[in-house]
Amino acid sequence: MIAVDEVGVVVSGVTLLAPVSAAAPAGSALIVRGRNGTGKSTLLRVLAGVRRPSTGVVRVAGEAVAERDRGFRRRVAAMIGLPPMAPDLTVLDHVTLVATTWLDDPRAAEELARAVVVELGLDGLAERFPHELSSGQTQLLGLALVLARPFEVLILDEPEQRLDPEHVESVVRVLRARRDAGATLVIATHSAVLADGLADRTLDLDAA
Amino acid sequence: MNGRSQAAQRIWRARRPRSTGDRLFLAYMIMMVALVVVAPILRAIWLSATSAAGIALLASPVAPAVAVLVTAVLWASALLLGRDRGPALLPPFLAHALGTSDLSRSDLLRLPLLRAGAIVTAVTTSAATLVGGSLASQGIIGALALGVFVLTGVLVGVIAAVAWLAGQALPRVAVPIALGVLVLGVLAAFVPAVQPFTPWGWVGLAYPSSGGPTPAVVGLVILAAGLVALVPVLLNRLHLAELIAQAARWESASTFAASLDLSTAAAAYRQRPRLGRRLRAVRAGRPLWATFLVRDAIGALRTPGRLVVGALALAAAGTLLALAFAPAAPGWLLGALAGLLAFAGLGPLTDGIRHAASVASDLPLYGIGDAHLLAGHALFPLVVLVVVLLAAVTVCAVVVGVASLSPALGSLALGVVALLARIDDALKGPMPPALLTPVPTPAGDLGAAARAAWSVDGVLLAAGASAALAAGSPILLIVTAAILVGVGVNRWRHRR
Repeated sequence: MIAVDEVGVVVSGVTLLAPVSAAAPAGSALIVRGRNGTGKSTLLRVLAGVRRPSTGVVRVAGEAVAERDRGFRRRVAAMIGLPPMAPDLTVLDHVTLVATTWLDDPRAAEELARAVVVELGLDGLAERFPHELSSGQTQLLGLALVLARPFEVLILDEPEQRLDPEHVESVVRVLRARRDAGATLVIATHSAVLADGLADRTLDLDAA
Repeated sequence: MNGRSQAAQRIWRARRPRSTGDRLFLAYMIMMVALVVVAPILRAIWLSATSAAGIALLASPVAPAVAVLVTAVLWASALLLGRDRGPALLPPFLAHALGTSDLSRSDLLRLPLLRAGAIVTAVTTSAATLVGGSLASQGIIGALALGVFVLTGVLVGVIAAVAWLAGQALPRVAVPIALGVLVLGVLAAFVPAVQPFTPWGWVGLAYPSSGGPTPAVVGLVILAAGLVALVPVLLNRLHLAELIAQAARWESASTFAASLDLSTAAAAYRQRPRLGRRLRAVRAGRPLWATFLVRDAIGALRTPGRLVVGALALAAAGTLLALAFAPAAPGWLLGALAGLLAFAGLGPLTDGIRHAASVASDLPLYGIGDAHLLAGHALFPLVVLVVVLLAAVTVCAVVVGVASLSPALGSLALGVVALLARIDDALKGPMPPALLTPVPTPAGDLGAAARAAWSVDGVLLAAGASAALAAGSPILLIVTAAILVGVGVNRWRHRR
């Protein structure tokens, strides 16, 4: 599903990502590891189509990355940092709005939104506004927004951020279910729990 | 002030010593801003006030009623402002360090309160001096009436400062009191018989063209003295947590404002929703345009205070625009004010547009394109502004007795221009590096002026377009609107 061939990023002579290659077939999880500053987020940005590589090529389902292409946007969901949240919407409003814009069937959209909220343990917080959430709960809302839509590829940058061990476990369960249903996951993480729970392949940028 | 408190504040002030060079540069900056910016503005205001039209306005029979209304609005606004940013404020660290000590709040906060109160009083006194001085310069009033009105200006400022503090110390009761002041202010402005029974009415009775000094000023003196006596009680009522929260918010907003990031600075004071959480803003099954319209409407209803203020500002914009079309009215001035108010009034209605702009500059979140998302979020403010502006223009045109067609069409143009300015503002992003280049001129570095203009370009263009509209200059209106569109398209293309 994803093929990364000698992709590197250099800006003004500074190497943000040394050339790397990797591949992840459908229904697998590629875990990207490495110390701070080795280019994990940069690589994810290239995969999500928001940064052009200086060298190499990325292909998703055999096609070049094109963030402005509707088909690509439908295929690839990404969370690199928290998504923008609306201060005047509740948790459930947020998730339902995202689902509504992706699914034609209203019932399916409502069901998907509620299912994601329950899966991530946000059901008790459904009527809260973003400013009423803790940092961990805000992280879960960010994950809920990226999961409340159809995708073939899911790109996540350190989804364990701000979460306690119990919630990291539940995120592993949620992501494993997506992988087992056929989605390709590319996840940059420092969490051994996440890596051990999901990794089919590992790309270690320290070794690149 | 207590010695310990003084010592602590002295240490705080000494944390960043200024060299002689820094002091000289600061003096140079102040002098240049005074000469290049302040002096011409003051001169223009004085010339406008003492022109034939200005004197006719200041000496007109409705001027005292306007003074009543302005005073009531000032005092009510001071009460409401105190809830978010009171006059008794210290930097966050000092607020914490001194606020947790055994020093009394009235001791700690007297100095910042006096400083803030002096600024408010200076502004009201200057306004009273301008009005009284203009009338005196034409021989309409004598020196005694001028002196009494200047004193009235001082008293209005003192009362406003205490009202500001009252809003900070009593945030809950400040809202109903402010609403009461506003309602009774409007009543006193339109029903002169009520004026002797209200403090804002006393200001109207003390107006120089009302027939000379009246006992109303004595009433204002007694009221101001009584309120000043309450100041220590109000200061000692302030809660530490709220003092620190206000201090932190102010410091954050000041830092962003100093770097000309006014949107982020304003966001620090944007009211957060607490109401209407059980009202579903989003339900699947509606057409997308209706989804965004309902979602934005319910989102706005969740902060009803902001929504009402926004609607009132739009109504005031419509009223001013209708008045601008009246014969012999200072069209450009009223038009510019209408543009400014329309831009400000759209602020609480365009949360959705700001969210769409954030999403458009980030990774894709919704299953629709960025342009579609922005258009969906523009629907709610568009509907509200058309309804409110048209209603205000029609009512005002009927009351004043001018034809309503031109102002109505003008208000629609104003609404569209103000909305474009808001969209441009939402898409602004960080300052272009080119603006950081110095522009040396004999009058100093104009680069600072360019950066300041960039930071408020939306409101400037909206006010400019509206002034051109009211002054009957369609070419200037079209040019300004074209600039707005051009700026918006450019920012849209570079949003990521």
